[in-house]
Amino acid sequence: MPVMGEVHTGLLQNSGEIEESACRQVLALTAGETVRVSRRPIVHAVSPDRLTGVDCRLPSATQSRVRGVGTVLSRCAITGGRVAQGSSYVRLTRAEADRRLPWSHYLARPGVVEVLGKAKARDLADGFADDPPPGCLDLGAISGRFLDLAQSSPLLDRRAPFKVPRTRLRWVAESGEPAIRFVLRSDRTRSVLVVHDGAFTPAVADLCEDLALHDWLLTTLLVLLERARIGAVPGPEAAARLAPAVDHLLHLWMPAARLGDAMAPYWESLDRRPGFSRQWQSLVDRVRDQVTVNTLALLSVTAEAGRRRR
Amino acid sequence: MLVFAISDKGGTGRSVTAMNVVYRHALQGNDACYLDYDLGSPTAGAIFGIGAAARGAREGGLHEYLRGYRAEPLRLDVWAESDREALRARPPGSGRLVLLPGSEGGGELSSVDEEVVRRCAQLFGRLDEEFDLCVVDLSAGRSFTAELVLQATARLAHVPFRWLVFHRWTRQHIIAADGLVTGADGLLDVAARFGHDPDELRDRIRFVRTAVLEPGAAELAGLRDEQRAWLSTCDDELRELARRHGVGRTAMLGRIPLDPVLQWREQLISDEDVLASKIANAETAAAFDDLARKIVDDSAWEGL
Repeated sequence: MPVMGEVHTGLLQNSGEIEESACRQVLALTAGETVRVSRRPIVHAVSPDRLTGVDCRLPSATQSRVRGVGTVLSRCAITGGRVAQGSSYVRLTRAEADRRLPWSHYLARPGVVEVLGKAKARDLADGFADDPPPGCLDLGAISGRFLDLAQSSPLLDRRAPFKVPRTRLRWVAESGEPAIRFVLRSDRTRSVLVVHDGAFTPAVADLCEDLALHDWLLTTLLVLLERARIGAVPGPEAAARLAPAVDHLLHLWMPAARLGDAMAPYWESLDRRPGFSRQWQSLVDRVRDQVTVNTLALLSVTAEAGRRRR
Repeated sequence: MLVFAISDKGGTGRSVTAMNVVYRHALQGNDACYLDYDLGSPTAGAIFGIGAAARGAREGGLHEYLRGYRAEPLRLDVWAESDREALRARPPGSGRLVLLPGSEGGGELSSVDEEVVRRCAQLFGRLDEEFDLCVVDLSAGRSFTAELVLQATARLAHVPFRWLVFHRWTRQHIIAADGLVTGADGLLDVAARFGHDPDELRDRIRFVRTAVLEPGAAELAGLRDEQRAWLSTCDDELRELARRHGVGRTAMLGRIPLDPVLQWREQLISDEDVLASKIANAETAAAFDDLARKIVDDSAWEGL
C-alpha cells in the first residue's frame, strides 16, 4: 500500500530571519519534547512529531467508499530561520479486522492508517493526487494547521518583508523500480511520485520536504522577479524591488543538504530534468546582474556629477 | 493589512466602493483580495462580473468554510474568471485580484461559536501572509458577522487591521455612522467586550463618504440660484453635524462623488469606462485610486 503526504511551505512571518534559539521556541509544540536542530550547511529545525487521529473516508480515484482509521504523523520545520513548513504523512496498510479497534491499537502505530474493506493501492494513490473531496482525509488541512501554529507564534512580529502565497506539495511513495516524477499542477500545488526500492523509510518524507522547500524558493524568486518588472520600470526601481530576494532568499538554496546517500539519486535526477538548480542559478544570476548593472549606472551618474563640480 | 468595510445603513454603496478600492489596489501593483462577508446577500460575484458566482458560490463559499464543511474557501481569480472584457486580462504590472465569494443561499450567521471564530482567525492569518490588502465586506448594521471579525482580530495580535465606515452625506447617515461606532452595542462597545482596547481601535477607524454631490459639481449647473444657496446651507449644516458626531474631515479617509454609473449599475469602474466609453467620471476613478493608496498609507492614519 502507498505512503502519502502533503507539505505546505511559506515565508516565516517575521521581518528578519530568526535565530536558532527562537526556532526552538517557535517549534516547541509539545511540552517536554525537544526540537531537533541541524546547523550545517544551514540551520534546520524540526518540531517533535505530533499525531492526529483520523477515522474517515479515503480519497479514491473511482469514488469508491473506502474507510481508513489510524493516525497522521505531522511536524513543522524552519529552514534558515526564514522558511516554515508544515508536513504530514500516512502509511496505508490493510486492516486485519473489519471494524475499528481500540485507539491504543492505532496509537502504537504512529503515522499508520489502516484501510478497512476492499481497496486497490493504485486507486487510493490516484485519488490522493487530486484535491480531496469534502469529508475525505485531507492531509493538506492538517499540514496547513501545523504551519499556522508556527506562523502564529507570539515570537514572530508578522512583518514579513514581502507577501507570497504558500505552496503545497502532495506526494505519494510506492515501492518498485526507483523513479521520481514532479508535476506543477497549479500555481500553488505540486505533486510528486517517488518510487523507492524496498520498504518505505522516513527518508522519503525528508526528501519530499526538501523538494517542497526548494520548489517554494524557486516559485517565490520567480514571483519577486515578475514583480520587479525589469525593463518596464526604471533600473533603480527594479533593483530596489529585487532587494528582498538578495536579503532573504538567495542564500537558502542547499538541495539535498540533509539527505542520505539513498535519496541523493532522486535529486540528481530532478536536477537533470526539469533542472531545478539550473533554473535557480539562472534566476540568481539575473538578480545579481540587475543589481550590478544598476550599481554601475549609479556610479557613472555620481562620477559625472563629480566631474561637473570640478 | 485587513480592512473591514461596514456601514450602518444599507444602500450606502459600501460594497461597490470596497470592490473598486480592491480593484484599484491590484492595478497599483499589489496583491489584493476581497472577502464577501455580507453573508445574507453574497452578490460580490456580480460586481466583479463573474456570472458563475453572481449570487454567491454554489460550492465552497465562505459560509461552508466558516461552518466547517470545507478545509478552505473557494477563491476566484478575477483576472481569469470575470466575464467583463475590460477585466479579463491582467494589466501589466498589476497584482493578483482574488474574490472569496459567499455561499449561494447561505444566510446571515445566527450565532458565533468558538469554532467559527477559530476558522475565521485562521483564514485572516493565512490571507495576510499572501495579500497586501484583504478587504472584508460586512453586512450593514450590527451583525454577528461584525462580532465574529472583532473576536477573530482580537486573537491575531500582530496582524494589522483597519475599519472603514461608509455613509452617505445626509443627516440620517451621519448620525447612524457615528452610532455604529460609538453607540450602545456599537463597534467600540462590542470590541471592548472581546478584549480590544477601544482607544486603540478608535484610531483604526475612518469614515468614507459615498455618493457625495460636490457644491461645484457639473450636475448642479441646471439648478436655480435659490436651490444652489439652499444646498450650500445644507452642506454647511451637515459639516457641522458631522463634526459634532466625530465623522468630520479629520476622521474621513475619502469621499466618492456621485456617479451615474454607480447609481444605475454597480460595477467596477475601469480606465476604459473613463477614457474610452466615457460613461464614468474621471473624478470617481481618481477617488477610488486615492482611497486605495490611503488605505495602506500610515500617514493618513495617524492618531486623531
